[in-house]
Amino acid sequence: MSRKLLETDGRDWVQRGVISEAQRAQLLTLYPTDDAAIGLLPLLGSLLVGLSALSVVAANWQGLPELVRLGLLLGSLVAAYAGGEYFRRRGNGSLGMGLVALGLILFGASIVLTSQLYQLIGYDLTGLLAWAVAGMGLTWLYRSRLLFLLTAVISGIVQGYNTGQLGAFSYLTAIGTALGLGYYWWRRPDALLGGVLAGGLLWQAGLLINHLHVKITWFFIPAMLIYALGDWQADRPAGRALQGPPLAAAFLFTLGLALFGESDFYAGQLRAPLGPYLAALAAVLAVSLAGKQRRGRLGSATDWLLLLPGFYFTGGLPLAVATLVVLYAYSGSVLVRAHQEHNPDRVTLGTVLFVLTTAVAYFKLTWGFLDKSLFFLLGGLLLLGLSWWLRRRAARTLATSSVPAAPPSASQP
Amino acid sequence: MSLSPPLTLVPAGPAAGTPPLPARHRRWLLWLVAAQVLFVLGVAVAGYATAALGRTITLRTEPVDPRDLLYGDYLRLRYQISELPGSLWRGAAPPRRQQAAYVLLEPRSDGDFEATGIYPEAPTTTGRQAVLRGSVQEVWRRSLRLRYGLERYYVPETMSRRRRQRRRLRVTISVAPWGQARITQVDTLRE
Repeated sequence: MSRKLLETDGRDWVQRGVISEAQRAQLLTLYPTDDAAIGLLPLLGSLLVGLSALSVVAANWQGLPELVRLGLLLGSLVAAYAGGEYFRRRGNGSLGMGLVALGLILFGASIVLTSQLYQLIGYDLTGLLAWAVAGMGLTWLYRSRLLFLLTAVISGIVQGYNTGQLGAFSYLTAIGTALGLGYYWWRRPDALLGGVLAGGLLWQAGLLINHLHVKITWFFIPAMLIYALGDWQADRPAGRALQGPPLAAAFLFTLGLALFGESDFYAGQLRAPLGPYLAALAAVLAVSLAGKQRRGRLGSATDWLLLLPGFYFTGGLPLAVATLVVLYAYSGSVLVRAHQEHNPDRVTLGTVLFVLTTAVAYFKLTWGFLDKSLFFLLGGLLLLGLSWWLRRRAARTLATSSVPAAPPSASQP
Repeated sequence: MSLSPPLTLVPAGPAAGTPPLPARHRRWLLWLVAAQVLFVLGVAVAGYATAALGRTITLRTEPVDPRDLLYGDYLRLRYQISELPGSLWRGAAPPRRQQAAYVLLEPRSDGDFEATGIYPEAPTTTGRQAVLRGSVQEVWRRSLRLRYGLERYYVPETMSRRRRQRRRLRVTISVAPWGQARITQVDTLRE
C-alpha cells in the first residue's frame, strides 16, 4: 500500500469508522516518506558537474597527449567502479549500481577510444567481446537487473556491429548471451528480465537469419526455442514474459503477411523448404509441450496456433485467407482462454487482437470491390458492433467471476 | 485488513535493498576491474608494439574525398590494393565472401607496395616481400574487393584539415610480426 493512498483516503476511513485516528497515525508511521526525491537533487547536481567535465575533456580530446588520454579513461573507469562500491556500502544502492553501470559503459568507451588513438581498427571482435564478457561477469557478481539489461543491450550492439561492419556472425557472442544471461534468468526468474532476454536473443536470431541469407521463416525456429524455454520455467509470470516477444514477433509477421503478402515480391526469401521446416518446428513443439505438461500448463498450447504455417499458400487471396485463419485461430483462442480463466488483462489483449485481425480481414477482403464510402461506413459499423459485443461478453464474464468470490486458483495455469 | 503483523516488514534501515557483496565476490570484483584496466592497457601496448616492432610499408590510396571530415573525424581510405584482379587469387577453391585473405606485397620501383598474389592461407615471404591480412568483401567476375581493417584514418588535430581537392594519399603502415597492422603516417601525394 502506498503512503499516498493512506494520506488521501485515511480521513475517510476514520470517518466511516473503519480505523481510529490513532490507527491512522500508526499506519502513516509505517510508511515513511520516500527520501528518494530528496536524494535526487545531489544526483542531478553531480550529473551536471560530470557533464561539464565531460564536455571540457571532449572538446580538448584530440589536443591531449596520448598518455593523458589513456590515464583519463582508465582513471574514470576505476573511479566509477570504486564509487559504485563505496555508495553501495553506504547503503545508497541505486546510486551505487548506477556508478557500476557507468563503469561498464566507460570500459566499452575506453576500448573504442584507445583503438582509435592507436589507429587499430582491426577486424577481430576481441575488444567488443571483452566488453560483453565484463558485463556478464558484473551481472553475476552484483545480481543486478540494471546490469543484466545493460549486458543484453551490449551483446546486441556487439552482434550488430559484427554482422553490419565486419560481415560475420559471432556464434560465441550469441551462445554466450543465451547461456550467461539465460542461466541467470533461469535461476532468478523475473518478468522484466524475461522480456529483455527474449528481446535480445530475438534480435541476434534475426541478425543470424539475415547474415546467413536463409529463408525468413527459419527465424521462428530459434524464436520458438526461446518460447519453449519459458514453458520449462517454474515461475509462471517470468516464463510468460519470456514468451511475449516471440509471440509478438509471430503475430506481427503473420499480420504483415495478411496485409502485404499478395505482392509476393519477396516470395523467394520467405518460405523455408516445407519438410525440414515442419520437422524442426515439430521438434521445438515437442520440447514446448513436454515443458507445458511438466508444469501443468497444457492449456497454453493454443499459443502454437499462431505458428500454423499458413504462409505456404502462395499468391494473393489464398495467402491472405490462410494467414487470416491463423490470426483468427490465435486471437480467438486467447479470448476463449481469457474468458475461461476470468482474466481481465487477457480479455483486453484478446479483444485488441481480435479487433485488429477483423480490421485487417475486412480491409483485405472488401477493399477491392466495395465503393470507398460504403467500405468505411460498413467497416466502422463492423468494428463498433464487434467491440460492443466483445465488451458485453467481457463484462458478463468478469461479473460472474466476482460472484463466487475468487475461484480456486489451483485450476489456473 | 489485519494490522498486527506488518511491523516486521518495515524496511530496516536504508541498506535493506542492497546487501553488501560477500568477501569472496568482492575479491572477484577486484579481479574483474583489474582485468578491464589491463585489457585497455593491452590495446595501447599492442598499438605501441606494432609501430615499434613492425615492418614498415607504404601503400597508395585512391583519391580521398576531403568532405569526409565534415561528417566525422576520420577519412575513409580506399587503397589501390582494396580492389584486385581475380587472376591474383592463388587458392585451390574459388574465393568466397567473408573468407580470410592474405595479400602478398612487393615494393615497386617508387617504393610503394603492390599486390602480387592473394592467398587463403598465410604465404611464406622472402626478402622485401610483406603480407597483409584482410578479408574478402565482394567477389565479382574479374575482381575482388578486400578489406584490411585499415580503411579508417582518425585524423589527428596536428594534421592540416584544410583540403580542397581530392588527392591520392601515401599511407605508411606498420605490420607487426604477429600480423596486426596499423597506420603510422599519412602523406599527400603531389601529382
